[in-house]
Amino acid sequence: MRAFELVSARDSRHAVALLAEHAPSAKILAGGTDLLVDLKSSPRGPEVIIDISRAEDLKIIARKDEGLSIGALVTHSEIMRSPLIREMFPALVDAAHTIGAVQTRNLGTLGGNLVTGVPSMDSGPTLLALDALVTVVGPAGRRQMPLAEFFVGPRKTILKPDELLMEIVIPKQNLGKPAYFLKFGLRKGQALALVNVAASLWVDWDKHVFVTPRIALGAVAPTVIRAPKAEAYLEGRAITLEAMAEAGRIAVGEAKPISDFRASAGYRLDLIAVLTKRALEGAYALAKAKREAK
Amino acid sequence: MVTVTIKVNGETRTASVAPETTLLRLLRENFSLTGTKLGCDVGDCGACTVIVDGKPVNSCLMLAGQVDGRDVLTIEGLATIDRLHPIQKAFEDHASLQCGFCGPGIILSAKALIDENPAPTTQEIRDALGGNLCRCTGYTKMIEAIRVAARTLRDEVADQPA
Repeated sequence: MRAFELVSARDSRHAVALLAEHAPSAKILAGGTDLLVDLKSSPRGPEVIIDISRAEDLKIIARKDEGLSIGALVTHSEIMRSPLIREMFPALVDAAHTIGAVQTRNLGTLGGNLVTGVPSMDSGPTLLALDALVTVVGPAGRRQMPLAEFFVGPRKTILKPDELLMEIVIPKQNLGKPAYFLKFGLRKGQALALVNVAASLWVDWDKHVFVTPRIALGAVAPTVIRAPKAEAYLEGRAITLEAMAEAGRIAVGEAKPISDFRASAGYRLDLIAVLTKRALEGAYALAKAKREAK
Repeated sequence: MVTVTIKVNGETRTASVAPETTLLRLLRENFSLTGTKLGCDVGDCGACTVIVDGKPVNSCLMLAGQVDGRDVLTIEGLATIDRLHPIQKAFEDHASLQCGFCGPGIILSAKALIDENPAPTTQEIRDALGGNLCRCTGYTKMIEAIRVAARTLRDEVADQPA
Protein backbone atom coordinates (compact mmCIF):
# COMPACT_ATOMS: atom_id res chain seq x y z
CA MET A 1 0.00 0.00 0.00
CA ARG A 2 1.11 3.58 -0.64
CA ALA A 3 2.39 5.52 2.33
CA PHE A 4 0.10 8.00 4.06
CA GLU A 5 -0.29 9.72 7.39
CA LEU A 6 -2.94 8.20 9.69
CA VAL A 7 -4.89 10.38 12.11
CA SER A 8 -7.72 9.21 14.34
CA ALA A 9 -10.87 11.25 15.03
CA ARG A 10 -12.41 11.07 18.52
CA ASP A 11 -15.87 12.07 17.29
CA SER A 12 -17.60 13.76 14.36
CA ARG A 13 -16.57 17.29 15.48
CA HIS A 14 -12.96 16.23 15.62
CA ALA A 15 -13.30 14.58 12.21
CA VAL A 16 -14.62 17.82 10.69
CA ALA A 17 -11.72 19.75 12.25
CA LEU A 18 -9.24 17.23 10.83
CA LEU A 19 -10.91 17.46 7.42
CA ALA A 20 -10.66 21.25 7.49
CA GLU A 21 -6.98 20.92 8.30
CA HIS A 22 -6.10 18.26 5.71
CA ALA A 23 -8.65 18.50 2.85
CA PRO A 24 -8.46 18.08 -0.11
CA SER A 25 -5.55 15.63 0.28
CA ALA A 26 -7.37 13.63 2.99
CA LYS A 27 -9.77 10.71 2.86
CA ILE A 28 -12.15 9.43 5.53
CA LEU A 29 -11.68 5.82 6.70
CA ALA A 30 -14.87 4.28 8.12
CA GLY A 31 -15.26 0.51 7.65
CA GLY A 32 -12.40 0.31 5.16
CA THR A 33 -13.95 -2.40 2.99
CA ASP A 34 -13.87 -0.13 -0.06
CA LEU A 35 -11.15 2.36 0.86
CA LEU A 36 -8.41 -0.11 1.75
CA VAL A 37 -8.99 -2.02 -1.48
CA ASP A 38 -8.69 1.27 -3.42
CA LEU A 39 -5.56 2.30 -1.52
CA LYS A 40 -3.89 -1.01 -2.33
CA SER A 41 -4.64 -0.84 -6.05
CA SER A 42 -4.38 2.82 -7.03
CA PRO A 43 -0.98 4.31 -7.80
CA ARG A 44 -2.00 7.72 -6.42
CA GLY A 45 -3.92 8.39 -3.28
CA PRO A 46 -4.61 10.68 -0.34
CA GLU A 47 -1.75 11.93 1.80
CA VAL A 48 -3.76 11.72 5.01
CA ILE A 49 -6.24 9.10 6.15
CA ILE A 50 -8.67 10.26 8.82
CA ASP A 51 -9.81 7.21 10.75
CA ILE A 52 -13.32 7.81 12.12
CA SER A 53 -13.93 4.21 13.19
CA ARG A 54 -13.80 5.22 16.87
CA ALA A 55 -16.28 8.11 16.59
CA GLU A 56 -18.98 6.71 18.87
CA ASP A 57 -21.41 9.57 18.15
CA LEU A 58 -21.77 8.28 14.59
CA LYS A 59 -22.77 4.76 15.68
CA ILE A 60 -26.20 5.48 17.14
CA ILE A 61 -29.56 4.16 15.94
CA ALA A 62 -32.33 6.20 17.60
CA ARG A 63 -35.86 7.51 17.33
CA LYS A 64 -35.83 11.31 17.06
CA ASP A 65 -38.56 13.90 16.52
CA GLU A 66 -37.84 13.94 12.79
CA GLY A 67 -37.80 10.16 12.39
CA LEU A 68 -35.41 7.24 12.72
CA SER A 69 -31.77 8.30 12.72
CA ILE A 70 -29.09 5.79 11.70
CA GLY A 71 -25.53 6.99 12.31
CA ALA A 72 -23.25 6.85 9.28
CA LEU A 73 -20.89 4.44 11.08
CA VAL A 74 -23.53 1.83 11.89
CA THR A 75 -22.29 -1.43 10.33
CA HIS A 76 -24.39 -3.73 8.17
CA SER A 77 -24.24 -6.34 10.98
CA GLU A 78 -25.54 -3.78 13.47
CA ILE A 79 -28.45 -2.99 11.16
CA MET A 80 -29.27 -6.71 11.05
CA ARG A 81 -29.24 -6.90 14.87
CA SER A 82 -31.06 -3.65 15.68
CA PRO A 83 -34.45 -4.39 17.33
CA LEU A 84 -35.75 -0.98 16.15
CA ILE A 85 -34.83 -1.58 12.51
CA ARG A 86 -35.98 -5.22 12.57
CA GLU A 87 -39.39 -4.11 13.77
CA MET A 88 -39.85 -1.05 11.57
CA PHE A 89 -37.94 -1.90 8.39
CA PRO A 90 -37.23 -5.59 7.80
CA ALA A 91 -36.33 -4.58 4.22
CA LEU A 92 -33.23 -2.78 5.55
CA VAL A 93 -32.25 -5.96 7.41
CA ASP A 94 -32.71 -8.03 4.24
CA ALA A 95 -30.66 -5.54 2.23
CA ALA A 96 -27.83 -5.51 4.81
CA HIS A 97 -27.81 -9.33 4.81
CA THR A 98 -27.13 -9.44 1.06
CA ILE A 99 -23.98 -7.32 1.35
CA GLY A 100 -20.61 -9.11 1.08
CA ALA A 101 -20.22 -11.70 3.84
CA VAL A 102 -20.11 -11.80 7.64
CA GLN A 103 -16.58 -10.37 7.87
CA THR A 104 -17.24 -7.44 5.55
CA ARG A 105 -20.65 -6.79 7.15
CA ASN A 106 -18.90 -6.50 10.53
CA LEU A 107 -16.61 -3.80 9.11
CA GLY A 108 -18.58 -2.07 6.36
CA THR A 109 -20.85 0.82 7.33
CA LEU A 110 -24.13 2.18 6.02
CA GLY A 111 -22.58 5.62 5.48
CA GLY A 112 -19.60 4.12 3.69
CA ASN A 113 -21.85 2.19 1.33
CA LEU A 114 -23.65 5.44 0.40
CA VAL A 115 -20.50 7.60 0.18
CA THR A 116 -18.65 5.11 -2.04
CA GLY A 117 -21.62 5.53 -4.32
CA VAL A 118 -21.41 2.51 -6.59
CA PRO A 119 -24.68 2.11 -8.53
CA SER A 120 -25.12 -1.49 -7.34
CA MET A 121 -25.00 -0.59 -3.63
CA ASP A 122 -27.50 -2.63 -1.64
CA SER A 123 -28.20 0.04 1.00
CA GLY A 124 -29.51 2.61 -1.46
CA PRO A 125 -32.80 1.31 -2.90
CA THR A 126 -34.67 0.70 0.38
CA LEU A 127 -33.59 4.07 1.79
CA LEU A 128 -34.66 5.84 -1.43
CA ALA A 129 -38.01 4.03 -1.34
CA LEU A 130 -38.48 5.34 2.22
CA ASP A 131 -37.67 8.98 1.22
CA ALA A 132 -34.59 8.96 3.47
CA LEU A 133 -32.70 12.16 4.20
CA VAL A 134 -28.99 12.51 4.84
CA THR A 135 -27.29 14.93 7.21
CA VAL A 136 -23.92 16.24 6.12
CA VAL A 137 -21.57 18.33 8.26
CA GLY A 138 -18.72 20.58 7.20
CA PRO A 139 -16.94 23.78 8.22
CA ALA A 140 -20.14 25.79 7.53
CA GLY A 141 -22.24 23.55 9.77
CA ARG A 142 -24.89 21.00 8.99
CA ARG A 143 -27.09 20.60 5.95
CA GLN A 144 -29.74 18.03 5.22
CA MET A 145 -31.03 16.82 1.87
CA PRO A 146 -32.99 13.95 0.34
CA LEU A 147 -30.77 10.94 -0.30
CA ALA A 148 -31.82 11.14 -3.97
CA GLU A 149 -29.92 14.45 -4.25
CA PHE A 150 -26.85 13.03 -2.51
CA PHE A 151 -25.97 10.78 -5.44
CA VAL A 152 -24.42 12.50 -8.48
CA GLY A 153 -22.99 9.66 -10.58
CA PRO A 154 -21.04 6.41 -10.31
CA ARG A 155 -18.80 6.81 -7.23
CA LYS A 156 -19.76 10.49 -7.06
CA THR A 157 -21.78 12.22 -4.36
CA ILE A 158 -22.38 15.86 -3.52
CA LEU A 159 -20.02 15.60 -0.50
CA LYS A 160 -17.31 18.26 -0.68
CA PRO A 161 -13.76 17.23 0.24
CA ASP A 162 -14.16 18.81 3.70
CA GLU A 163 -17.60 17.37 4.44
CA LEU A 164 -18.65 14.30 6.39
CA LEU A 165 -21.83 12.22 6.14
CA MET A 166 -23.23 12.05 9.69
CA GLU A 167 -26.53 10.23 9.63
CA ILE A 168 -29.34 8.85 7.55
CA VAL A 169 -32.85 9.80 8.63
CA ILE A 170 -36.03 7.98 7.68
CA PRO A 171 -38.71 10.65 8.10
CA LYS A 172 -41.32 10.10 10.78
CA GLN A 173 -44.26 9.89 8.37
CA ASN A 174 -42.61 6.75 6.95
CA LEU A 175 -41.84 4.95 10.21
CA GLY A 176 -43.16 1.43 9.82
CA LYS A 177 -44.07 1.97 6.15
CA PRO A 178 -44.22 -1.49 4.57
CA ALA A 179 -41.16 -1.90 2.36
CA TYR A 180 -39.54 -4.83 0.59
CA PHE A 181 -36.06 -5.34 -0.89
CA LEU A 182 -34.93 -7.85 -3.50
CA LYS A 183 -31.49 -8.41 -4.96
CA PHE A 184 -30.56 -10.54 -7.90
CA GLY A 185 -26.91 -11.55 -7.80
CA LEU A 186 -25.07 -14.50 -9.27
CA ARG A 187 -24.46 -16.01 -5.82
CA LYS A 188 -25.92 -15.51 -2.34
CA GLY A 189 -22.65 -14.34 -0.81
CA GLN A 190 -19.87 -12.03 -2.00
CA ALA A 191 -21.76 -10.97 -5.13
CA LEU A 192 -22.74 -7.56 -6.46
CA ALA A 193 -26.31 -7.02 -7.59
CA LEU A 194 -27.15 -7.40 -11.27
CA VAL A 195 -30.30 -5.55 -10.28
CA ASN A 196 -31.69 -4.67 -6.87
CA VAL A 197 -35.12 -3.23 -6.22
CA ALA A 198 -37.00 -1.84 -3.25
CA ALA A 199 -40.66 -0.93 -3.02
CA SER A 200 -42.64 0.74 -0.26
CA LEU A 201 -46.33 1.52 -0.04
CA TRP A 202 -49.21 2.44 2.23
CA VAL A 203 -52.62 0.96 1.60
CA ASP A 204 -55.99 2.70 1.84
CA TRP A 205 -57.85 -0.38 3.07
CA ASP A 206 -61.34 1.12 2.58
CA LYS A 207 -60.73 1.66 -1.12
CA HIS A 208 -57.99 -1.00 -1.38
CA VAL A 209 -55.72 1.31 -3.40
CA PHE A 210 -51.99 2.16 -3.38
CA VAL A 211 -51.03 5.25 -1.37
CA THR A 212 -47.58 6.90 -1.87
CA PRO A 213 -46.03 3.87 -3.59
CA ARG A 214 -42.27 4.17 -4.06
CA ILE A 215 -40.03 2.10 -6.32
CA ALA A 216 -36.22 2.35 -6.30
CA LEU A 217 -33.79 0.53 -8.58
CA GLY A 218 -30.09 -0.19 -8.24
CA ALA A 219 -27.37 -1.25 -10.71
CA VAL A 220 -29.40 -0.04 -13.71
CA ALA A 221 -28.36 3.63 -14.00
CA PRO A 222 -25.38 5.84 -13.06
CA THR A 223 -26.86 6.09 -9.53
CA VAL A 224 -29.56 4.32 -7.57
CA ILE A 225 -32.79 5.78 -8.99
CA ARG A 226 -36.51 6.06 -8.31
CA ALA A 227 -39.04 5.01 -10.94
CA PRO A 228 -41.44 7.99 -10.78
CA LYS A 229 -43.60 7.02 -13.77
CA ALA A 230 -44.27 3.58 -12.34
CA GLU A 231 -45.03 5.20 -8.96
CA ALA A 232 -47.45 7.68 -10.57
CA TYR A 233 -49.19 4.83 -12.39
CA LEU A 234 -49.85 3.05 -9.08
CA GLU A 235 -50.86 6.06 -6.98
CA GLY A 236 -54.54 5.72 -6.06
CA ARG A 237 -54.94 2.65 -8.26
CA ALA A 238 -56.73 -0.53 -7.13
CA ILE A 239 -54.25 -3.07 -5.79
CA THR A 240 -54.03 -6.02 -8.16
CA LEU A 241 -51.23 -8.29 -9.35
CA GLU A 242 -51.81 -6.94 -12.87
CA ALA A 243 -51.23 -3.36 -11.68
CA MET A 244 -47.97 -4.47 -9.99
CA ALA A 245 -46.84 -6.20 -13.18
CA GLU A 246 -47.66 -3.11 -15.25
CA ALA A 247 -45.65 -0.95 -12.82
CA GLY A 248 -42.74 -3.32 -13.43
CA ARG A 249 -43.05 -2.87 -17.18
CA ILE A 250 -43.18 0.92 -16.80
CA ALA A 251 -40.11 0.87 -14.52
CA VAL A 252 -38.14 -0.86 -17.29
CA GLY A 253 -38.48 2.32 -19.38
CA GLU A 254 -37.05 4.45 -16.59
CA ALA A 255 -33.72 2.62 -16.31
CA LYS A 256 -30.57 2.86 -18.41
CA PRO A 257 -28.58 -0.24 -17.58
CA ILE A 258 -25.23 -1.06 -19.11
CA SER A 259 -23.90 -4.36 -20.38
CA ASP A 260 -20.85 -5.61 -18.51
CA PHE A 261 -19.17 -8.91 -17.66
CA ARG A 262 -21.86 -9.64 -15.06
CA ALA A 263 -24.94 -9.25 -17.28
CA SER A 264 -26.24 -7.69 -20.47
CA ALA A 265 -28.42 -4.59 -20.44
CA GLY A 266 -31.28 -6.62 -21.91
CA TYR A 267 -31.10 -9.18 -19.11
CA ARG A 268 -31.10 -6.40 -16.53
CA LEU A 269 -34.19 -4.84 -18.12
CA ASP A 270 -36.02 -8.18 -17.86
CA LEU A 271 -34.96 -8.43 -14.22
CA ILE A 272 -36.36 -4.96 -13.46
CA ALA A 273 -39.85 -5.96 -14.60
CA VAL A 274 -39.85 -9.17 -12.58
CA LEU A 275 -38.18 -7.84 -9.42
CA THR A 276 -40.30 -4.67 -9.31
CA LYS A 277 -43.49 -6.74 -9.44
CA ARG A 278 -42.18 -9.09 -6.74
CA ALA A 279 -41.01 -6.23 -4.50
CA LEU A 280 -44.47 -4.64 -4.72
CA GLU A 281 -46.05 -8.01 -3.88
CA GLY A 282 -43.69 -8.34 -0.91
CA ALA A 283 -44.45 -4.85 0.40
CA TYR A 284 -48.18 -5.46 0.03
CA ALA A 285 -47.95 -8.82 1.85
CA LEU A 286 -46.11 -7.06 4.68
CA ALA A 287 -48.78 -4.33 4.81
CA LYS A 288 -51.45 -7.01 5.06
CA ALA A 289 -49.58 -8.92 7.77
CA LYS A 290 -49.15 -5.72 9.80
CA ARG A 291 -52.83 -4.95 9.51
CA GLU A 292 -53.83 -8.45 10.60
CA ALA A 293 -51.44 -8.32 13.56
CA LYS A 294 -53.21 -5.24 14.94
CA MET B 1 5.16 5.36 12.34
CA VAL B 2 2.26 4.44 14.61
CA THR B 3 2.55 2.54 17.87
CA VAL B 4 0.01 -0.22 18.25
CA THR B 5 -0.71 -2.14 21.43
CA ILE B 6 -3.18 -4.99 21.16
CA LYS B 7 -4.17 -7.96 23.22
CA VAL B 8 -3.62 -10.91 20.94
CA ASN B 9 -4.63 -14.38 22.13
CA GLY B 10 -4.68 -13.04 25.67
CA GLU B 11 -1.21 -11.53 25.56
CA THR B 12 -0.57 -7.77 25.34
CA ARG B 13 1.85 -6.94 22.53
CA THR B 14 3.18 -3.69 21.09
CA ALA B 15 4.75 -2.79 17.77
CA SER B 16 5.71 0.35 15.91
CA VAL B 17 4.66 0.11 12.27
CA ALA B 18 4.16 2.27 9.17
CA PRO B 19 0.61 3.75 9.05
CA GLU B 20 -0.31 1.77 5.94
CA THR B 21 0.34 -1.57 7.69
CA THR B 22 -2.73 -3.80 7.78
CA LEU B 23 -3.69 -5.84 10.84
CA LEU B 24 -2.85 -8.91 8.75
CA ARG B 25 0.73 -7.78 8.20
CA LEU B 26 1.09 -6.71 11.81
CA LEU B 27 0.13 -10.22 12.94
CA ARG B 28 2.29 -12.06 10.44
CA GLU B 29 5.36 -9.86 10.15
CA ASN B 30 5.62 -8.16 13.54
CA PHE B 31 4.16 -10.81 15.83
CA SER B 32 5.16 -13.88 13.75
CA LEU B 33 1.61 -15.20 13.94
CA THR B 34 1.63 -16.74 10.48
CA GLY B 35 -1.43 -18.92 11.00
CA THR B 36 -3.46 -16.02 9.64
CA LYS B 37 -3.08 -16.27 5.86
CA LEU B 38 -2.65 -13.66 3.15
CA GLY B 39 -4.92 -14.69 0.28
CA CYS B 40 -6.62 -12.17 -1.97
CA ASP B 41 -5.80 -9.11 0.19
CA VAL B 42 -9.09 -7.44 -0.83
CA GLY B 43 -11.67 -9.02 1.50
CA ASP B 44 -13.03 -11.73 -0.79
CA CYS B 45 -11.40 -14.98 0.31
CA GLY B 46 -11.54 -14.90 4.11
CA ALA B 47 -8.15 -16.60 4.59
CA CYS B 48 -7.12 -13.65 6.79
CA THR B 49 -10.17 -13.87 9.09
CA VAL B 50 -9.46 -13.07 12.74
CA ILE B 51 -11.81 -12.22 15.60
CA VAL B 52 -11.62 -8.61 16.83
CA ASP B 53 -13.62 -7.81 19.98
CA GLY B 54 -15.69 -10.92 19.41
CA LYS B 55 -16.48 -10.32 15.74
CA PRO B 56 -14.93 -12.04 12.71
CA VAL B 57 -13.35 -9.55 10.29
CA ASN B 58 -10.96 -9.57 7.33
CA SER B 59 -7.62 -8.57 8.84
CA CYS B 60 -6.49 -7.42 5.36
CA LEU B 61 -9.15 -4.69 5.48
CA MET B 62 -8.14 -3.12 8.80
CA LEU B 63 -5.19 -0.90 9.45
CA ALA B 64 -3.07 -1.91 12.42
CA GLY B 65 -3.68 1.56 13.88
CA GLN B 66 -7.43 0.93 13.96
CA VAL B 67 -6.96 -2.07 16.24
CA ASP B 68 -4.89 -0.27 18.90
CA GLY B 69 -6.29 -1.18 22.33
CA ARG B 70 -8.52 -3.94 21.04
CA ASP B 71 -8.72 -7.67 21.60
CA VAL B 72 -7.68 -9.99 18.75
CA LEU B 73 -8.03 -13.76 18.53
CA THR B 74 -6.09 -15.65 15.86
CA ILE B 75 -5.92 -19.37 15.09
CA GLU B 76 -2.87 -19.65 17.38
CA GLY B 77 -5.14 -18.75 20.32
CA LEU B 78 -7.40 -21.81 20.08
CA ALA B 79 -5.42 -24.96 20.85
CA THR B 80 -3.32 -25.59 23.94
CA ILE B 81 -0.21 -27.76 23.98
CA ASP B 82 -2.22 -30.85 24.96
CA ARG B 83 -5.66 -30.22 23.52
CA LEU B 84 -7.07 -29.11 20.19
CA HIS B 85 -10.06 -26.78 20.33
CA PRO B 86 -13.28 -28.83 19.78
CA ILE B 87 -13.76 -27.16 16.37
CA GLN B 88 -10.23 -28.13 15.33
CA LYS B 89 -10.78 -31.67 16.64
CA ALA B 90 -14.01 -32.00 14.67
CA PHE B 91 -12.25 -30.75 11.51
CA GLU B 92 -9.57 -33.39 12.05
CA ASP B 93 -12.08 -36.17 12.74
CA HIS B 94 -14.11 -35.33 9.63
CA ALA B 95 -11.10 -34.71 7.36
CA SER B 96 -12.66 -31.33 6.65
CA LEU B 97 -9.54 -29.78 5.12
CA GLN B 98 -7.27 -30.78 2.29
CA CYS B 99 -4.57 -28.21 1.59
CA GLY B 100 -5.60 -26.33 4.74
CA PHE B 101 -4.84 -22.79 3.58
CA CYS B 102 -8.40 -21.62 4.23
CA GLY B 103 -8.59 -23.54 7.52
CA PRO B 104 -7.60 -20.84 10.04
CA GLY B 105 -10.15 -18.43 8.57
CA ILE B 106 -12.90 -21.05 8.34
CA ILE B 107 -12.31 -22.26 11.90
CA LEU B 108 -12.42 -18.71 13.28
CA SER B 109 -15.61 -17.96 11.33
CA ALA B 110 -17.07 -21.14 12.85
CA LYS B 111 -15.93 -20.12 16.35
CA ALA B 112 -17.55 -16.69 16.06
CA LEU B 113 -20.76 -18.31 14.82
CA ILE B 114 -20.95 -20.86 17.65
CA ASP B 115 -20.09 -18.21 20.27
CA GLU B 116 -23.12 -16.24 19.18
CA ASN B 117 -25.40 -19.09 18.16
CA PRO B 118 -24.63 -22.35 20.04
CA ALA B 119 -26.98 -24.46 17.88
CA PRO B 120 -26.64 -23.21 14.29
CA THR B 121 -28.66 -24.77 11.47
CA THR B 122 -26.95 -25.91 8.29
CA GLN B 123 -28.23 -22.77 6.55
CA GLU B 124 -26.81 -20.57 9.32
CA ILE B 125 -23.45 -22.34 9.01
CA ARG B 126 -23.46 -21.80 5.24
CA ASP B 127 -24.23 -18.12 5.78
CA ALA B 128 -21.41 -17.82 8.33
CA LEU B 129 -18.94 -19.37 5.84
CA GLY B 130 -20.11 -17.14 2.95
CA GLY B 131 -16.96 -15.04 3.26
CA ASN B 132 -14.51 -17.96 3.32
CA LEU B 133 -13.42 -19.55 0.07
CA CYS B 134 -12.17 -23.14 -0.07
CA ARG B 135 -11.11 -24.50 -3.43
CA CYS B 136 -10.41 -28.08 -2.25
CA THR B 137 -13.25 -29.55 -0.30
CA GLY B 138 -16.68 -28.36 -1.39
CA TYR B 139 -17.46 -27.37 2.23
CA THR B 140 -19.67 -30.37 3.07
CA LYS B 141 -17.30 -31.94 5.59
CA MET B 142 -16.66 -28.56 7.18
CA ILE B 143 -20.37 -28.03 7.73
CA GLU B 144 -20.66 -31.51 9.27
CA ALA B 145 -17.70 -30.80 11.54
CA ILE B 146 -19.12 -27.46 12.67
CA ARG B 147 -22.44 -29.10 13.60
CA VAL B 148 -20.59 -31.73 15.65
CA ALA B 149 -18.31 -29.14 17.26
CA ALA B 150 -21.31 -27.02 18.24
CA ARG B 151 -22.85 -30.06 19.95
CA THR B 152 -19.57 -30.87 21.74
CA LEU B 153 -19.30 -27.29 22.99
CA ARG B 154 -22.93 -27.32 24.19
CA ASP B 155 -22.28 -30.57 26.09
CA GLU B 156 -19.15 -29.08 27.66
CA VAL B 157 -21.17 -26.12 28.91
CA ALA B 158 -23.88 -28.47 30.23
CA ASP B 159 -21.30 -30.64 32.02
CA GLN B 160 -19.71 -27.77 33.89
CA PRO B 161 -20.53 -27.82 37.62
CA ALA B 162 -22.97 -25.08 38.60
